[in-house]
This record gives sequence, structure tokens and C-alpha cells, in this order.
Amino acid sequence: MSPVAECFVAFLFGSVAGLLMQRSRFCNTAALRDAIMFKTYRNTKAMLAAMMILTLGFTGFMSLGAGHPLQFDVGLNTFAGLFLFGIGMVFAGACTVSTWVKTGEGNLGALWALIFTFVGMFLFSLVWSASWWPPAPQTMTGQINAPALQLGFANAQTLQQKFGVPAIVFGLVQFAVLFGLYRAILKRERAHHAEHVKHQQEHAKGKPVETAVQNA
Amino acid sequence: MEFFKKTLDPIIALSAIAVLDIFMFLIMGAWTVGGGETMMTGLIAKAAIGDELERLPFWNIVFPVHGDYWKIYISLGMLFGAFVGAVLSKEFYWRVPRHLSEWVLITLGGLLMGFGIRLAYICNVSTFFGLMPEMNMGGYLAMSGILAGAWVGSLIYKKLLEAE
Repeated sequence: MSPVAECFVAFLFGSVAGLLMQRSRFCNTAALRDAIMFKTYRNTKAMLAAMMILTLGFTGFMSLGAGHPLQFDVGLNTFAGLFLFGIGMVFAGACTVSTWVKTGEGNLGALWALIFTFVGMFLFSLVWSASWWPPAPQTMTGQINAPALQLGFANAQTLQQKFGVPAIVFGLVQFAVLFGLYRAILKRERAHHAEHVKHQQEHAKGKPVETAVQNA
Repeated sequence: MEFFKKTLDPIIALSAIAVLDIFMFLIMGAWTVGGGETMMTGLIAKAAIGDELERLPFWNIVFPVHGDYWKIYISLGMLFGAFVGAVLSKEFYWRVPRHLSEWVLITLGGLLMGFGIRLAYICNVSTFFGLMPEMNMGGYLAMSGILAGAWVGSLIYKKLLEAE
């Protein structure tokens, strides 16, 4: 595919994704922050649903050798980078996606966050140019690189090659775990809702529900 | 149009995006945000300081600057799609943070996000909608990092709210 066609497809995908996120008020930050701070899971459930679909889709096609999986070595920098990112997104009240979506809605705070995300990236380019860490993609080997604190590369396709089991089988295991999490959230929400209804009934009658049932 | 009057269920929205993401995965690569922003940073820096930028090895080796990098257009598309959605649903209006403390937190948050994305080579979208569904080892490392970070960030945020 030519670079122009790639840019066009990317713009089309981004436009649809932006529109759907704007209309659904989905936010990745809220999916994590609200679950941690407020024990509400509206966005968390949506994120899990998408991850379940993607796990089946990606590992299914990877079993056939199709698709373009991301390929680069990971290590301490992966954990540390996303740790900083996690703090940053809670402070900014938005992640990289929602900064674009909220900016599109006229949120100047989100635009400000976006500008400083660019500044943060430029600052990192200065640090990298002095430290040369983490290793540049061209020097990655896919193997453990202890001096550079790198664990190498592994995904469902490398598991398929190593164990001779189709990638989709591993995908199904991950799907089951995600589905278990999703069901646990639903169960928690139902219990919370039942408790809420009970409190409302108690409040309305001015006496405990158990007593009201006995009197009836 | 009903679509622009009611809030869409995020499960439906994200499921639709996931299906489209699978098509993207097949032809170019999974949905990712961060690479496009880095390239935009490079393009802005190049416009500001010209060839001086190339004295920094990062912009020669890790991210040589060029405008036809497809990931830029995912982000621009999201901005466009959200703008269209907001205008058609009459939800577009200028929102400005009122307190200085909000501006400070947003500034700090933006800096941490930008620095963190480049340190890890990925962002939260690649973590949850790219690496993890590919069962990439980095996805699990990144998820652990982002959960720990979001937890620490939430604790600090709570303290700040209580102090106000």
C-alpha cells in the first residue's frame, strides 16, 4: 500500500474512532481511574469488551500468519514509561486519545495537555540523545539483553512457533480471563444495585426492610 | 438524527472500533497513538529550528522526521471525528479550566505522558488495543506499569482534592 493510501486509511479509521468516542463519552483514563477511585466501571467494561474482540481477531489471524503485529523489544523501560504515563493521565484527566477527542469538543485544557505531551516527547529526545537508552529499534535483537535491561520479544506468534500450538489457542485462554473479569464486574454492579435498592426502600418506609417484610 | 441526540453505549462504540482495528491490523498495523504525536513533535521542532534538529541522534536514528507517517493521520482523524460529532450533537463549546491548580496538574500530566510514551515506545492505546490482544510480553509489562501509575496518580489526586 502506498504511503498516501496508508495515511488516508489511517485518517478514515481515526475519524470513525473519534466520532464514536465523542458520542459514547468513552475515555481510557476513566476506564482505569474510575475503577480505582470511584468503583464505577462504565468505561472499564467497554475496554474489556474491545480487548476480548481484539484478542480473538488478532490471535486468530496471527495463527494464519496474517496481520502486522507490533515488533520491538520490551523491558524495564516499558514498565517505567507506562508507570509515568499512568500518573500523567490521571493528572491531565485524559490520555492521548481523549486529549484529541476533548480538544475536538473545544476543551482547551485537553489542548494544553496535548501541547505538553509534545514538550515531554521533545524532552525525552534530548535525554535519549545523551543516554542512548532504551536501545534504538535497529539494534534490538529479540533476545534478552541484560545490560540494556531488555527482555526481548514474545507474542502469540512466537508462542505458536515455540510450542506448535496455534496462536488462537493462547488467545482463547486470554479471552477467558478477560471474560471472567468482565463477569466479575457485572456481578459486583448487580450486588451494588441490589444494595442501593434496599437502602432506597428502607429510606422510603422509614424502617428496615426486614421489619416491613415481617409485618406484611 | 437520533445518533447525535443520545449518548452511545461505550460497549457498542468500542466493539465497533475493535472490529475496524482488526481490519487496520490486517493491512497496516493495530491502532496506536503516540508515534504520530512524536512525528508531529519532530515536524514542529524541524519547522522551528530547521536542520539543527538533526544534531540530536534521536531524530536521526529512532524517529527520522517525515510527514507521510500514517500514524499522524489517525490522531488528526480522531480530532476531526470528535469535532464533527460535537458540532452535529451541539456539544461543541469552549471549555477552559478555571483554577491555576488544574492548569499546573494538566501541564505536569502532559509532560509525564509525553516522556513516558517515548521511554516505553508505546502508549495506553497500544497497550490495551494492540500489544495485549497480540499477547505481546510488552503488553503485560505496560499494563502493570499503567495500573501502578494510575493507582499512584489517583492517590496523589485524592490527596490534592482533600487538601482543597
